[in-house]
Amino acid sequence: MTSTLAFPSSPDQHLMRESTRATLRVQSRMLAATRAFLTGRGFQELLPPVIGPVTDPGIRGSKQVDVDFYGHKYKLMTSAILYKQASLLAFDKIFYIAPNVRLEPLETAVTHRHLAEFHQIDVEIRDARREDAMEVAEQLVAYVVDEVVRALPDDLELLGRDTDAFREVVQGVFGRTTHQEATADLVALGHPQDPGAEIDWQGEEIISAKSSRPFFVVDYPKGSRGFYDREDPEQPGVLRNFDLIAPEGYGELASGSEREYDYAALVTRMRETGENPAKYGWYLDLARRGIPASSGFGIGLERFTRYVTGRTAAWEASAYPKVPGVVSA
Amino acid sequence: MSTVLSATGFPEEQVRYRARHGAAAAFPALEGYGTGLLGAVPAGQDPGDLLERGRIVPPVFMPERLKKLIELAREPLYTDVELDAVVGGFASRLPLYVSAFGSTQVASHDLGEAAGRQAGRLGIPMVIGENVVPVNGYRSAAEAEVSPLLGRIAAYTRAAASSGNEEYGGVVVQQSTEDADAEVWNLVYSDPVCEPLLATGRLAFELKVGQGAKPGLGGLTVLGREAAGRVAEQYATDEVFGTGGDRVLRISSPGTFTEEILRQQIRLMRNNFPRAKVWVKLHPGRDVALAAATAWAAGADSVTVDGAEAGTAWAPSGFLGQVGLPLGECLTRIGRTGNCLLASGRMWEGTRAVKALALGAHAVGLGRAALLAVDEDAEDGLVRLVESIALELRLLISAVGKYRVDALDAKDVLLPPA
Repeated sequence: MTSTLAFPSSPDQHLMRESTRATLRVQSRMLAATRAFLTGRGFQELLPPVIGPVTDPGIRGSKQVDVDFYGHKYKLMTSAILYKQASLLAFDKIFYIAPNVRLEPLETAVTHRHLAEFHQIDVEIRDARREDAMEVAEQLVAYVVDEVVRALPDDLELLGRDTDAFREVVQGVFGRTTHQEATADLVALGHPQDPGAEIDWQGEEIISAKSSRPFFVVDYPKGSRGFYDREDPEQPGVLRNFDLIAPEGYGELASGSEREYDYAALVTRMRETGENPAKYGWYLDLARRGIPASSGFGIGLERFTRYVTGRTAAWEASAYPKVPGVVSA
Repeated sequence: MSTVLSATGFPEEQVRYRARHGAAAAFPALEGYGTGLLGAVPAGQDPGDLLERGRIVPPVFMPERLKKLIELAREPLYTDVELDAVVGGFASRLPLYVSAFGSTQVASHDLGEAAGRQAGRLGIPMVIGENVVPVNGYRSAAEAEVSPLLGRIAAYTRAAASSGNEEYGGVVVQQSTEDADAEVWNLVYSDPVCEPLLATGRLAFELKVGQGAKPGLGGLTVLGREAAGRVAEQYATDEVFGTGGDRVLRISSPGTFTEEILRQQIRLMRNNFPRAKVWVKLHPGRDVALAAATAWAAGADSVTVDGAEAGTAWAPSGFLGQVGLPLGECLTRIGRTGNCLLASGRMWEGTRAVKALALGAHAVGLGRAALLAVDEDAEDGLVRLVESIALELRLLISAVGKYRVDALDAKDVLLPPA
């Protein structure tokens, strides 16, 4: 990782840095590579919705932004997950490059990984199992990294990114562990990880720093994720989901899962996550009529860029960064 | 005193008297001293109220008092009773907390803030009720300082800091099913106003499963037609007062719970708000012991059982008298478990509080009593009421030969035969 930079006091200070320019050039290449990879495999790119009556309820205390839609309360998308599922009624394999806004808790301002406004490479595949989605994520990350390493060596050198770190990544064989194993490892290392919760930010950084290649953490416990992550019918209380963690301490790059699509299960899971089903009207109506089984994931573009460029903070991978609680351009 | 409130069926006059006179109100009027003959007064009026009919029964032999005597090298007095308690993960000066007042008009604005200031001064936790955000708003641009929710949190925090209670008490914010739409917890968790509380571990979120006044029902509020229109997307209304009238009944669902739903909601709270404590409020359902055990097993820091005698809220008359387990019955069904159990329901003086504490509660909540006390005197009413209760707690706990709240046990209370 390169040296820590103070958050810029003005846009020009940030935009005119050579390191910012190089980072954004890499990001642009990553987007082009993503599109080439996915469209080459039959994925349809769709433009994501930005507002809607309901959005991903979110996790870990991030709050949503309300929009007054002609007297009705709408939300800016925290993620387009519900629309991703719906889009499979039109196409079997879709992706978005989707902007998301999440007003994350103030404590996330120091994680280097959280932005209040960010983008996701959002992928959804009809009738796919979790393992199918993980394979696409693995190949996509390997392809994009390989593309940048080959096409932009000068920018990576300017940024001081050691490309040897990508030797295992471009092979496309990532590690696998379960949430239970990761929790046990963290506890053994003296980190107080709650076995029933999401791996906390500090814990994520610890396991990330220990690894030399990206790896998946699978089987998160129910109670740590949204209602749309499908519960494993063979292991009640365990979700058919995954996170993709970057090595070298960069932490989480992506989250994904096999999706819940059964109407009654969705309503029940909404209650289990403290949601009021009434506000998910359009989505539940659709689910009652039938939405396809699917799996998918979302890769945080700024986090992914940070990892590829070796930046200290995810905000360095945004032209106009919005850090939780920090007023900026 | 503003006396805008009244509380039918509640010892309103006695509470107001205590709010004016403080600790002295724990005794008969001084004018009668030396001349009046005092004797037993009839036990409570409510035959279903186990706590009211129970008696506190001091023993003759007091080994705990001997321990205290050895510790102090003098005979212990009631003033030696320590009232500090751990209440739902907070350090509290007293085994008391201020319960939620609900969204009804009585709890809004001035009284809520006054209660918050006094609770902060006292170093005891305060619960802020559900529906405060959907009904009264969170923060409007023009009135950022006077939003009911943030204003109350800020008033509490300031008062606690200026009274040396930076490490005591805490604020508990409720959310119910409809509040989930307004994302109350997410709003509070990331608001800078809450940072001093989070930094000292003094913020909790309370999952409201139900309430004592209307077990099995959700919130019911009478609204003007115009206000009902404003919240129409969140709440249903019923024309029980006639279609031509200017008032409607706003109705909300209590939310559906099963063991698994309760367990997972608690786990998600712990996952999403790792810096906040998790409280759960139960109505006095017949399976209250199973519900409490489920909540604790899922990691709740505290479970509040709200007895059928409770409620600042507006409720149908039939529910107030005939529905739900009385608090005493809830406490005996749950028993002493080692987990933090809180109890509310017609608490306003020391004997009822001691009975609840002896039956397993770690603290008791003041709801209507706190509201009336604050209504009587917005500056000091609650402080005085609490002083009178604290004095009674010390007297009663020392009378059973004990000197700490958590030393009380079920033997200290004689319950009437079932």
